[in-house]
Amino acid sequence: MKRLVLIILTVLLLTPGIHQAYAGGPPPKNVVKGVFTTIDTKTMDASIKVDGHDGVRVLHLGEGMTVDDIPMDKKVLVSLDTHAGPNVIKDVSVMFMDMTVTKIIAFLIIGLIGGLLSGFIGSGGAFVLTPAMMSLGAPGAVAVASNMCHKFPKAMVGAYKRWKYGQADIKLGLVMAVTAIIGVQVGIKIQKFILDHWGNAGSNLYVSVVFVFVLVVVGAYVLMDAIKLSKGSAEEKTPVLAMKLQRINLWPMMEFKVAKLRISAWITIPVGLLTGMLAATIAVGGFIGVPGMIYVIGASALVSSATELVVAFIMGAWGSVQWGISGLIDIRMTLLILAGSLIGVQLGALGTTYVKDYTIKLVMSAVMLIVAVSRGAKIPGYLSDLNLIAALNDKLGVALNSVSFWALMVALAVAGIIITVAMIKGMVQARAEENAAGVVQQH
Amino acid sequence: MIQNETHQAQLHVNSTKESSAVGRSKATSTSTATQTAYTPKKPVGKMVFFGALSLGAYLLLFSKETLVTQTYTLGGWHAAFPVLTAFLFSFVHGAFASNFLTVLGLEAKSSH
Repeated sequence: MKRLVLIILTVLLLTPGIHQAYAGGPPPKNVVKGVFTTIDTKTMDASIKVDGHDGVRVLHLGEGMTVDDIPMDKKVLVSLDTHAGPNVIKDVSVMFMDMTVTKIIAFLIIGLIGGLLSGFIGSGGAFVLTPAMMSLGAPGAVAVASNMCHKFPKAMVGAYKRWKYGQADIKLGLVMAVTAIIGVQVGIKIQKFILDHWGNAGSNLYVSVVFVFVLVVVGAYVLMDAIKLSKGSAEEKTPVLAMKLQRINLWPMMEFKVAKLRISAWITIPVGLLTGMLAATIAVGGFIGVPGMIYVIGASALVSSATELVVAFIMGAWGSVQWGISGLIDIRMTLLILAGSLIGVQLGALGTTYVKDYTIKLVMSAVMLIVAVSRGAKIPGYLSDLNLIAALNDKLGVALNSVSFWALMVALAVAGIIITVAMIKGMVQARAEENAAGVVQQH
Repeated sequence: MIQNETHQAQLHVNSTKESSAVGRSKATSTSTATQTAYTPKKPVGKMVFFGALSLGAYLLLFSKETLVTQTYTLGGWHAAFPVLTAFLFSFVHGAFASNFLTVLGLEAKSSH
């Protein structure tokens, strides 16, 4: 409990000092949030009551927009077309979608499976939740913000459970989180540089290429390792690289008791920084943080995935405060996903006590590789946006988009199935062992 | 899951951590704990309590949907609303979820 309080205090202390940065990308700058009050059909001007300001701001409808595109008396996000002038509207999206029963059920199910994955491998969920929210009608920034706000309570509950099982290394988690937060700042700087030089399409392309490259390389490596271990051809031992790095006796040395290792801060800090940089770029820091802790620092998959939940909690809490300050969190979506994911995350966490270390690696690599396919399917679109290849025809565009979306669903389903099967097997085996032990005791 | 054992006697050996064992008087102690018939009580009451509390909170929030979404997205210090609400729900609903899984018989593998 003391440790949890320590974490919360650290988060609170860190928050004001680093309010310039945002986990998972900054809230958009050229966006106005508020409610349209009046519209002048002659001049094509619309007045909007902007959140946090008393007066109204007059915006001009952009090219091709009609009066019907302006929803009245609803909270909206207005993107401005800065190239056309300071107050020209590019597009308007309604911030709060209407909740229907179907949407509620969808959120509950996605939350449940996303939580299961998160409790099991320490990360995951964000990569599927954000696109899912967007396809159900939420604007991108609101989806990212609402996801972030659901991530930290979920990770907190998961981290607590896995700490109770003796798996989470709080100290390692804290070190990783603090360095990752610094890494996020660096990542954002790089993102901004690319955005300024190559625009939105260039930025999308950069993000996707990094995403696919990292996920394929790391995912394939983890998968190979998992397969080797599952065949029993290799013993589960500290990876060679980590062993070598642990031998480097460079001050300051850090001791991690739960992870049972001692390693120089000069190794730990770069891993955290890189995780943060990638988190800012591809929004799934866990996919690099967990393999980093396993193969570079030398913690077991069980400890790494549990520790990642500590990292996710701290980074998520800090990110949520940022997004909250921007006023972009749709609490309804956050809480609906949370309803499922708080069950899922605890189920996933208890599931880890029944499985072997390699099962965690297997699930993680499967998810990484399928998610890479999902993002890879978007690359041709970005390439044609930059005129690097010929424009895609409509059919191909639609097909690639649906490949991208369904790959995510497949990733979720595959992960859900592997986890469930492994967990049931483990439980049945544990029960048989218990019964056998019981029989021995009675005699 | 594992409720069909009859009677168990457990020996706990409480050793201190290896790294700090030197020079401590509190070295190794042995305690005996006798468990009567191992039939864990299912926390049905707790589950119902937290479930009702959680459901109530959800219903309250969704019945005031417009007010809530407007206030929570004003930005600035209003950030405290969504963050604290998420915290609160994670405790209440998290407690429900935990008890719910226990009632279903899904528990972590016991480590003995």
